[in-house]
Amino acid sequence: MTEPIDTSIYSAVTAAIQTEAQRILAAGLVTAIVGYAASRRNGSTQPIIVTDAAAAEKLIFTPASVNNLALYLTKAKKEIPKKGKIGIVVKGCDLKAIVGLMGEAQLKRNDLYLIGVPCAGVLASTVQPSTALTADTIASKCTECDARLPSDCDYVPNVQLPTQPQLAGKYAVEIARLEALTPAERWAYWKEQFAKCIKCYACRQVCPFCFCEQCLCDRNKPQMVDTTPRPAGNTAWHIVRAMHLAGRCAGCAECERVCPMDIPLNLLNRKMAKELKELYDYEAGFEVNDKGPLTTYTDKDDQSFIK
Amino acid sequence: MHPEKQTHDFEPKIIAFVCTWCTYAGADLAGTSRMQYPANVRVLKFPCTGRIDPVFILKAFQQGADGVLVSGCHPGDCHYIAGNFHARRRFAAFRKLLEFVGVDLNRLQFSWVSAAEGGKWVEVVTDLTEKVRAMGPMTEFKELAMEEQWSGAINTPELKEAYSQI
Ligand code: SF4
Ligand code: SF4
Repeated sequence: MTEPIDTSIYSAVTAAIQTEAQRILAAGLVTAIVGYAASRRNGSTQPIIVTDAAAAEKLIFTPASVNNLALYLTKAKKEIPKKGKIGIVVKGCDLKAIVGLMGEAQLKRNDLYLIGVPCAGVLASTVQPSTALTADTIASKCTECDARLPSDCDYVPNVQLPTQPQLAGKYAVEIARLEALTPAERWAYWKEQFAKCIKCYACRQVCPFCFCEQCLCDRNKPQMVDTTPRPAGNTAWHIVRAMHLAGRCAGCAECERVCPMDIPLNLLNRKMAKELKELYDYEAGFEVNDKGPLTTYTDKDDQSFIK
Repeated sequence: MHPEKQTHDFEPKIIAFVCTWCTYAGADLAGTSRMQYPANVRVLKFPCTGRIDPVFILKAFQQGADGVLVSGCHPGDCHYIAGNFHARRRFAAFRKLLEFVGVDLNRLQFSWVSAAEGGKWVEVVTDLTEKVRAMGPMTEFKELAMEEQWSGAINTPELKEAYSQI
């Protein structure tokens, strides 16, 4: 059954983004705006950096505006010169990543002009960008989104978010299914998944939180993780990736979207988020925290597993 | 006189990551007090449990460990004030991750052993060794390391068909 999802607000959102972008560029409030523009494939979008008020009309927002543009603000993209404020179009999940980066002192709020998007959901990576948004074609992350309306932005288009049909959280269901298996069955499942990995590191390159100048997985003295795309190194890579993002991941699911081998990567990140919520009552959100759950402690933390 | 030596079919390899200030000193105390404990354990000394990266545990399993012990100072006794508090959270999270990937957590033990607890060191090491001995060798990571198969394997009907047509 394909229940349609109302995305009629996106045309109003697009118009509002264009007007606002035109205004702030013309007024010199920002030097550039990172947003979405139509791409060549029918219905698709691509990131664009607009620096000229006349070009603001290129900015759009559609169900195919999947990218997390926060990536373009991180150190990983530091070749983009920073002069004055930068405007950026953000969905709720993207904003969580920006908030996380502010907590990690990678970004300053004052350097940014946030254009928040009231979001009804975006398309899954497996469907054509011109497909209509339905309960089946929506991205998995959007089925369990709690951040449709970004808060504390400099500008949010004044539109009414349509009520969403109740969707079953696709990750939650899958995590529960895996948790119910025996360790040996889970090992077999992940072994098969990890075996597919070709070590292209697209998942790392797209993640706003993978901004290390030298990744542990690229080091060879000592080499902690095998670099070849073979089962041992792949498994180590995925465990290390999940661990390094635990307590930091914003849940934008970009890692999973870009994986050319369709590995359900984000399950690991979401499982960790779930555990950290249970253990330390921490969740990625819109509030800037200097310390994440794994960079702080209390003297009462659970230690039932320690002898 | 040495007590009669027991022989076993399987001698597990246990890697112990310990902090130098408490557990290493505790293990030293056990030694200087001439307490007996299984020789299966290989001790690696670190400045602090806070320095023990989860990837070390992974590496240990990949290189053939059947069990891993991580041990340091009791909460409040850390030489660097909070290293063990941070480690406690990190390893709590790491256990959950390993469990989700399908590693049997019985092979991984954490403990606090102070410099005065030679007896506790003996107990922890003996317990883990016997537990792992009963479980048999850890094969999962070793098998992965042996496998040559990679993502180019022709293992789906579609790929097989395409391959046969070349
Ligand atoms: S994007 Fe997919 S194939 Fe590429 S390194 Fe990440 S998991 Fe492996
Ligand atoms: S790990 Fe994946 S979901 Fe989490 S922040 Fe990075 S790209 Fe987004």
